Amino acid sequence: MILQENPFPGVCGRVCPHPCEGVCNRREFDEAIAIHSIERFLAETAGRYDLKPILTRLAAKKQRIAIVGAGPAGLSAAYFLALLGYSCDVFEAMPEPGGVLRWGIPVYRLPLAALRSDIANIEAQNVRILTGQKIGSEFLQDAAGRYDAVFMGCGHSRTVKLGVPGEKTNAIENGLQFLGQLRQGNTIPLLGVSAVIGGGNTAIDVARSVIRCGGKAVILYRRRRRDMPAFEEEVQMGIEEGVELRELVTPLGITTDGAQYTLTLQEMKISGEDSRGRANILPDEGKTRELRVERVFKATGAEPAEDWYNPPDKTKVSLTLSHTILISPESGPALAFGGDLTNETKSVAHAVASGKQAAMALDIFFHGGMEAIVPKLAECRVGQGPSLSMEMYMEGSRRLRNTHVVSYEEINTDHFQFQPRITRPRLLKEERRTSFKEIDLKISTNLAIREAERCFNCGICNQCDNCYMFCPDIAVIREKNNNERHINYDYCKGCGLCVVECPRNAMTLREEDI
Amino acid sequence: MELDTKDDEYMYSGHVGCPGCGAAIAMRFTLKALGAKTIVVLPACCWSIIAGPYPQSTLKVPVIHSAFETGGAVASGVRAALDVKGDTETTVVTWAGDGGTFDIGFQALSGAVERNEDFIYVCYDNEAYMNTGVQRSSSTPYGAWTTTTPGQDWKKMRKKNIVEALVAHRIPYAATANIAFPEDLVRKVQKAKALKGSKFIHVYASCPTGWRIPSEMSVKIARMAVQTNIFPLYEVENGNKYTINYKPKEYLVREYFKLQGRFRHLTDRDLDQIQEMVNEDWEVLLRKAAERV
Repeated sequence: MILQENPFPGVCGRVCPHPCEGVCNRREFDEAIAIHSIERFLAETAGRYDLKPILTRLAAKKQRIAIVGAGPAGLSAAYFLALLGYSCDVFEAMPEPGGVLRWGIPVYRLPLAALRSDIANIEAQNVRILTGQKIGSEFLQDAAGRYDAVFMGCGHSRTVKLGVPGEKTNAIENGLQFLGQLRQGNTIPLLGVSAVIGGGNTAIDVARSVIRCGGKAVILYRRRRRDMPAFEEEVQMGIEEGVELRELVTPLGITTDGAQYTLTLQEMKISGEDSRGRANILPDEGKTRELRVERVFKATGAEPAEDWYNPPDKTKVSLTLSHTILISPESGPALAFGGDLTNETKSVAHAVASGKQAAMALDIFFHGGMEAIVPKLAECRVGQGPSLSMEMYMEGSRRLRNTHVVSYEEINTDHFQFQPRITRPRLLKEERRTSFKEIDLKISTNLAIREAERCFNCGICNQCDNCYMFCPDIAVIREKNNNERHINYDYCKGCGLCVVECPRNAMTLREEDI
Repeated sequence: MELDTKDDEYMYSGHVGCPGCGAAIAMRFTLKALGAKTIVVLPACCWSIIAGPYPQSTLKVPVIHSAFETGGAVASGVRAALDVKGDTETTVVTWAGDGGTFDIGFQALSGAVERNEDFIYVCYDNEAYMNTGVQRSSSTPYGAWTTTTPGQDWKKMRKKNIVEALVAHRIPYAATANIAFPEDLVRKVQKAKALKGSKFIHVYASCPTGWRIPSEMSVKIARMAVQTNIFPLYEVENGNKYTINYKPKEYLVREYFKLQGRFRHLTDRDLDQIQEMVNEDWEVLLRKAAERV
């Protein structure tokens, strides 16, 4: 089920910040379901027993598609295009696929085996990944004739310039490169204090990696902790491990005496908040501090490594979707851009979403042209956001579901008992400081089942049979296969008891049209 | 939810019960627990109508319609006749409303259980004479509107505690049950079936028509009656061993009262007073069950 919609359950079960749990109805009852733990458990169980998914696949198509970049967006696009019947070649500059998953995210959050297992499943869908193939801008011309479309998922791998003196010399090291070196298997012993400039996940990853290399880490962030784009849980764990966080400071300059660097830090002050609730900041004139450190890393925002990776200006764009930009030039292959190149939120889940959206959009484009894309995608939407279902796109049974999103008020909580959410077993912080071992440990089958049983199953009948039991007129029929329930309209008096007693709002009552 | 019963149904669809009828739900669960080898004795009550006029019947088991006051006596006779035939398998069940139990049928019931006749007496309680148009009974709760306690003349007497009256007869088994708790209800009926002698089960069965509640709320309100301690689930063995079967969430009684049209006239002061009565009754029960000293 998951693999029909997401080729990265092992990865997402670990590194996705699970916004789904933030809107889980169970949260208002006791605590949200630990969806990410269950996702990871399923991925691991499938791996352990070597279970192969039975995926819906469409008939083979003649079109060929090139994917540039084997990160989460590119691999997702290739995976979904393969399910839709296309043959895909993925070009990757690095010696191994994965992009930020392979070379960016530290191994204590995402072990190599988990990533490789997800990628192996993608390759098993007839996706060809060509590693060590650096693609230049001329590729877009060369691709004509060989490919009918190109998906650009090259990601953001170059760190944005800070504009601080000393940046041009080697004084300031690149955080992403540091993470990359670690993931290439290098051991980098660090002594003394490292300053990490930034407030995103990269800054946290760098700081926590510094600790694991034996150093001390100080994060310098120009806003407040609560304004950090980094996931709060990651920040919290970093601080537990000994990362020091200095808020409301920004580097002005850097000098060195050969052994140490001296950072001059401008203190910042808050002047109101922006529309998203982030602090607006101004330099607090005259207030500066100095900080002596052994190393300085910058881990501020990233941008595409080469300018031609970016989607061109608006005039040439044919269609802008929530996660993808499409271009249909007069000659040559169609172009789709995804992943960090187009996503406002730079997360793995959003990258997968862009790959899926691009795959569907290209499929529609080949059959019905640009105009057909938006209406067709609207038919495959899940919930109120931009999420799309590949199963629905392939005419699966999910199409038959009521599209109504069940709210907490619609759940009959009389039928549920309070039960605490599972706490995922973790390494102790002492163990975390000294090794790159994965922090989150496996959960047992028993725990995973218990957690899954907490699910309300909002809006989806799970044959609990409350409707059948409480019907005063024995007018709810259980089908012989035991999977379906029907109302016997000859005898139903319309009392509505079944609808109220349905714990999960899987039933509705409406007046008959006369 | 899964009940410890077979999937067999002993009731037909198409009966003339009102939409959302709690008594119909009670019958359905009870017969599922008892099975086919059952004879139902029906003194006058809502179910006399729901069961249908001869030759039609809503039930798949034999039914004897009887006079209002004779639930206990007719059941004793049926039991005796079965015994003469050597049939010890068949269970005799009197299925009476609160009027036929608390009021009109009380002497026959008292006599039958005093003799410890081997039968189950089920009182499905909808707290008034609903079949004849909502007249108050001695089961109608304090505060309720009925057609004979209209307007400001709402009932100012407390509901008779029928289970205690039966417990005073020292019968082998007396219990309360509720349509919103099917597992508990089925278990109690099965337990009663397995015991020899007189068994009494007091089943709370909501009445959308008489209580002025929406039909879809009838189970919800029944559940609320338990959760507020208005109708605790408990059982008494041999007239002295009390067991409380469900630990309620102890919602305030006003949560229960505000859902029902028959209590609409009650003021906050009335509700406070009722809360005190409920608390008092609950304390008494806790002491009997040795959960309070």
